[in-house]
Amino acid sequence: MKDKLVDAEKAVELINDGDSITFSGVSMVRAPMGFIKEIIKAGKKDLYIIDREPGMDFDILIAAKAVRKVRFAMLGFELFGLAPNFRKAAESKEIEWIEDTCGAITNAFRAGASGIPFVVVKGILGTDLVKIHEREGTWKVIKDPFNGEEILAVKAVNTDVAVIHVQKADRYGNASIEGSRFEDVYKAKGAKKLIITAEEIVDTEYFKKFPERNTIPYFYTTAVVHMPKGAYPTACPNYYPPDYDEIRRYLSMCREGKVDEYIKEWIERR
Amino acid sequence: MAENVDIPEIHPADIMIKAMAMEITNDDIFLHGLASPLPALAMHLAKQTHAPEMVYINVTDALDPDPNKYRLCFSSADPRHAVNTLAIVELLETFDLASKGKPLGMFLGGAQIDSRANTNLTCIGSYESPKVKLPGGAATAYLTPLVKKLVLWTTNHSKRVFVEKPDFITGIGYEEGKDKEVTVITNLAVFKAGKEGLILKSVHPGVSVDDVVNNMSFAPVVKGEIKTTPTPTENEMELIKKLDPDGVRFSEFKR
Repeated sequence: MKDKLVDAEKAVELINDGDSITFSGVSMVRAPMGFIKEIIKAGKKDLYIIDREPGMDFDILIAAKAVRKVRFAMLGFELFGLAPNFRKAAESKEIEWIEDTCGAITNAFRAGASGIPFVVVKGILGTDLVKIHEREGTWKVIKDPFNGEEILAVKAVNTDVAVIHVQKADRYGNASIEGSRFEDVYKAKGAKKLIITAEEIVDTEYFKKFPERNTIPYFYTTAVVHMPKGAYPTACPNYYPPDYDEIRRYLSMCREGKVDEYIKEWIERR
Repeated sequence: MAENVDIPEIHPADIMIKAMAMEITNDDIFLHGLASPLPALAMHLAKQTHAPEMVYINVTDALDPDPNKYRLCFSSADPRHAVNTLAIVELLETFDLASKGKPLGMFLGGAQIDSRANTNLTCIGSYESPKVKLPGGAATAYLTPLVKKLVLWTTNHSKRVFVEKPDFITGIGYEEGKDKEVTVITNLAVFKAGKEGLILKSVHPGVSVDDVVNNMSFAPVVKGEIKTTPTPTENEMELIKKLDPDGVRFSEFKR
């Protein structure tokens, strides 16, 4: 096993302008916010960001003008309302966007991890999303070769980069997601480059003692970054809950037109 | 009737939670997604009262989270909603249950809902040039054609929500001949979707049929006896308050 432990400034060099990227977590849980900050600091541009149900991670990257295109099944702040910067950028056509649906995008990540070109998914037919994705070239209505019935083919998603925040990793890239995994293991295994950020760097003995906790083994991993509180202000299960006050502060500053001020202060904050 | 004396004290949130719970039976597997405080509480309520055998799965990938350790939080994916869970069930596995035709039920919202209970959660205006880009349908497009029970809810019973023609079809409602029950629960009333349209089943205490009908852009089916939606019993109210001591369930009504 190779030592893959690097600092964040080094790991962010793995991302090229224009890359497609996916992130760990859902809504206000285990988004790799610490690394999002590095992407903004590094001035990355024209990213195509893809996820099932993102939130502040996508919204702040859009606010920082790092994004060319977004793909998501839902992008918002749940009870706190719409994603202000996404909404503004989408409505003014500053960015491209394509809406997905959870059953399709999750299966697309799983197909990506499996190394197959597409997967057939039930449901969805009859909704207006079908024509949007047929135009995009991401879905196609096909005939089941065995019974002739219509079914939806969903193209696999293999992003250029996945950034996955985990609770524990060793310096070789063995990584342990505790609690809800969402689709993070598939995203990680399907990506061309995988950056793991971790609350704690543990000794490899930890995985020898609990091999079932090794949810992403080392050979998938490109780089490991030690990033305590790396999901903050979203939650990291077993470490900290979401900081709802901080997320609301972000939203109210956005609504007052002070998002640049928020980002500047956020970047300066250790 | 004695327990209904304090009707004006009952918040529509609690009436909706009870109505949602009543859609759940012992044979069901129910899932709730993000931004779903009312469904989360309804699932707990059903499981602790009339449907102890129902299978409870939520957006934190938790199976049967412990009601005694549960405290409703602002994000439906909050890790505290997975406390004492029996297993981590990935959302993909739950979706596989839907594909296999298992008795899965799902609660979903609708920014626009038509008379067939089709929903729009994608955009107001056109997809290409939206007036408002909504957060998106999440699992709506995938699950609405597959579930056995679809329970839609809105806390904003209005002409803006109940429209003749949604700007975008994100979710499929009533489908003739399919084993799929579609219920619509609002802050004023409960409907079932059928061949003739949205059929009014009950109005909440203190709400008239006119209040319901006059706040929709299309006419629902009003026929026969229209019941009053049952309100939570004292015991049920205690369970709800214990699960949600912070009153997160009222948040959807403040906007």
